[in-house]
Amino acid sequence: MIGSKGSLNADHCEKEKVVFKKITLEKLGDLVSALKEKGPLYAPVRDGKAVNFQKITKTADVTLDFYNTVFSPKFVFFPQTEDLIRYTLQKEGAQAEPVPIAASPSVILGVRPCDAKSFEIMDRHFLGAGIIDPYWKNRRDNTVVIGYAFDPAAPPDPADFYNTVGIHAADTEGSDVFMVRKDGELLLKGITKKGESLLKGLAVLDAASAQDEAFFDETIRKDRGVKTRFTEITDTAIAAKLVGSFEKQEIWEEMTASCIGCGTCTFVCPTCYCFDINDETLFRKGARKRFWDACMFTDFTLEASGHNPRPRIFQRYRQKVCHKYSYHVTKYGCISCVGCGRCTRSCPVNIDIFSIVEKVANL
Amino acid sequence: MDFEPKILGIACNWCTYTGADLAGTTRLKYPQNVRTVRVMCSSRINPSFIIRAFQLGADGVLVGGCHPGDCHYGTGNLYARRKLAITKKILEFAGMDQKRFRVEWISASEGNKYAEIVEEFTRDLKALGPQNTFRIEKDSRERI
Amino acid sequence: MTNIKQIEENLKREAKRLLESKEVSVVLAYARGYDEHHPLPYAARTAGEVGNLIFNEYCTYNLARYLTKYPPKTKIAIAVKAADSRAVVQLIQEEKVKKEDLVILGIPFIGMKDPKTGEEIDQKTTCHMANPVLYDILLGEEIRDAGAGSPYDVLAELEAMDQAARWSFWEKEFSKCIRCFACRKACPMCYCDPCFMDASRPRWADKSPTADGNLMYHLTRFYHLAGRCIDCGECSRACPMDIPLHLFHKKMAKECETMFGQAAGMKIDDKPVMVNYGNQDSDEMLK
Repeated sequence: MIGSKGSLNADHCEKEKVVFKKITLEKLGDLVSALKEKGPLYAPVRDGKAVNFQKITKTADVTLDFYNTVFSPKFVFFPQTEDLIRYTLQKEGAQAEPVPIAASPSVILGVRPCDAKSFEIMDRHFLGAGIIDPYWKNRRDNTVVIGYAFDPAAPPDPADFYNTVGIHAADTEGSDVFMVRKDGELLLKGITKKGESLLKGLAVLDAASAQDEAFFDETIRKDRGVKTRFTEITDTAIAAKLVGSFEKQEIWEEMTASCIGCGTCTFVCPTCYCFDINDETLFRKGARKRFWDACMFTDFTLEASGHNPRPRIFQRYRQKVCHKYSYHVTKYGCISCVGCGRCTRSCPVNIDIFSIVEKVANL
Repeated sequence: MDFEPKILGIACNWCTYTGADLAGTTRLKYPQNVRTVRVMCSSRINPSFIIRAFQLGADGVLVGGCHPGDCHYGTGNLYARRKLAITKKILEFAGMDQKRFRVEWISASEGNKYAEIVEEFTRDLKALGPQNTFRIEKDSRERI
Repeated sequence: MTNIKQIEENLKREAKRLLESKEVSVVLAYARGYDEHHPLPYAARTAGEVGNLIFNEYCTYNLARYLTKYPPKTKIAIAVKAADSRAVVQLIQEEKVKKEDLVILGIPFIGMKDPKTGEEIDQKTTCHMANPVLYDILLGEEIRDAGAGSPYDVLAELEAMDQAARWSFWEKEFSKCIRCFACRKACPMCYCDPCFMDASRPRWADKSPTADGNLMYHLTRFYHLAGRCIDCGECSRACPMDIPLHLFHKKMAKECETMFGQAAGMKIDDKPVMVNYGNQDSDEMLK
């Protein structure tokens, strides 16, 4: 299980201090405009069939009618590509300038509880591994996360399994502000100091009533009853199971036989953080770039000698599962998966990481 | 200043390149807009060369090979014809003006044909203006 | 059209027979995924595993993609729908698999549905054929009427655009590409190892998803698939960014048919058009 969860009772004790606001859905546009004034705002936008987080330019683009986005909002802190150094090649050597790490205060609106949790998991890697990643840290420090509870009345997507990793449909953990939908209204509650001060500074919001608070707490309670796919695992037990199953090649080959080896699952994943760094030059000008890489690619582990320690798909898939459910537990003390179901939903051949973990857990 | 188009010429070693040489040695006058790359056969041309040339700022690409039937290797240019025809369709469907890509069969003895085609192609490209469809901006290579 | 449950039963029966008689060592078909709307490509190796096989309208995946993963001379039975059978034929033409190593289980069916959206897959995204072009065993009755319309009708809108409009359409679409390579990996005809995109010398495109690299990747891939694409539409269904790659592939398939008079993957004796030339070829095609 991931971390510990604050109990509902603790929330009640601090009632006096709680910053609790509301706004009608018709005035969502006003809220979006007010948030946009504070800096870049990232929110869900419908584009064709899919809803994804985007940097908002037009207020009307924002939608809160979605189940979950195709891509995770991790790109706000960890963009798919970013320039680290920009340079111009000279006759001898190069003139190079590091790109300043400047993040303006920004807000992500409408983050589902599993995704909010993913930021904390990524923090352990980017901030807690002995080396602090300044790019991640800067954006994290400057961003307010507005979480958004799943609708307790709507059934969870069949691919979701966040219950398995100890997350519920309305966990406030990881969010600075938590948002619950009440008929035609949005209820917003400050969870952290950062979130509270954001709420206090938003004049468009109205004060919420005691009734609203009761509804908010009720929704959280009801959302505990939202049941996604579930299998009983504990982080240390599954970590050990995976290590134990590592050599069982046949099982892994069978479980991953349909994998085609694309990188979709890792790109949509909220907790995949592997990246590559490459110099890309054109007309003697260029940038040292960091960009997402995927352990599912053949050339991910390809060495300069030509040797590839993981030439086969089952090896790469096993690496992905072991990294998330075993190595991450050993190294950072938690499972690096939030059960959002994105990898399963986006997989071109419907491979399901939950089924694989379940199978290994029951070996 | 008048717009001077940049043309990438890709010429086969046996016919078109020799033809271009002949144009030079017979002192024919033709525009200097072509930068020629010599390949052993027109079928050696990878369509990615052409796409890349347009990305790097070519206003036109001229491919020259032996006349069909006269290939030094027998059938190279017969394959090349199909490859380059499809390349042309790809460029066109992607939204590139297909007049910017030209394939011509020019033999080693056709120095004057080479000069004429370069003259004509340069004139056409001048009328079309700079190619900005695939061209990469020099200073910004960010994702759109 | 044969009932889909009947097709499933026929598939199981034939798979069981083929594995029991050791005629094949593996049957490529479908199994239940995490729910019945999301089937999984599945390789049954024993008669006991045949029970896992299913067939329903969500079994869209083109299993020909897996053929090239097996070592040569592996005896394989493969379940194919119309477009998938064309992929098998194309792979035979390209000498990637041998006909004598295959038992092709043909499935005549119209009305497959995209597991992601639930929408019916019709001629807009596929080759609009109902019966497999090549099979050893047909698992249902041949379909007489595949319905009206050409698979290329869907191109009308793009073809009518002027060049600038077409470029802005593709420029926008390609800019969405995140280089997950799902299109290439889902494609039955993309079996190159290494792919030109993975080559570091020469480096055809930057590793990060830049606009110019995306253009290079997709245009080159369209070229590589020209005359080989059998129009199954897997690339577009695999794309998490919903880039309509199938439209470009369709256009190239249409051009190849017009110019060279041969559609991909129809007969095993055909030679792929791009490694061939014909007496009827003329310079008209370069105009």
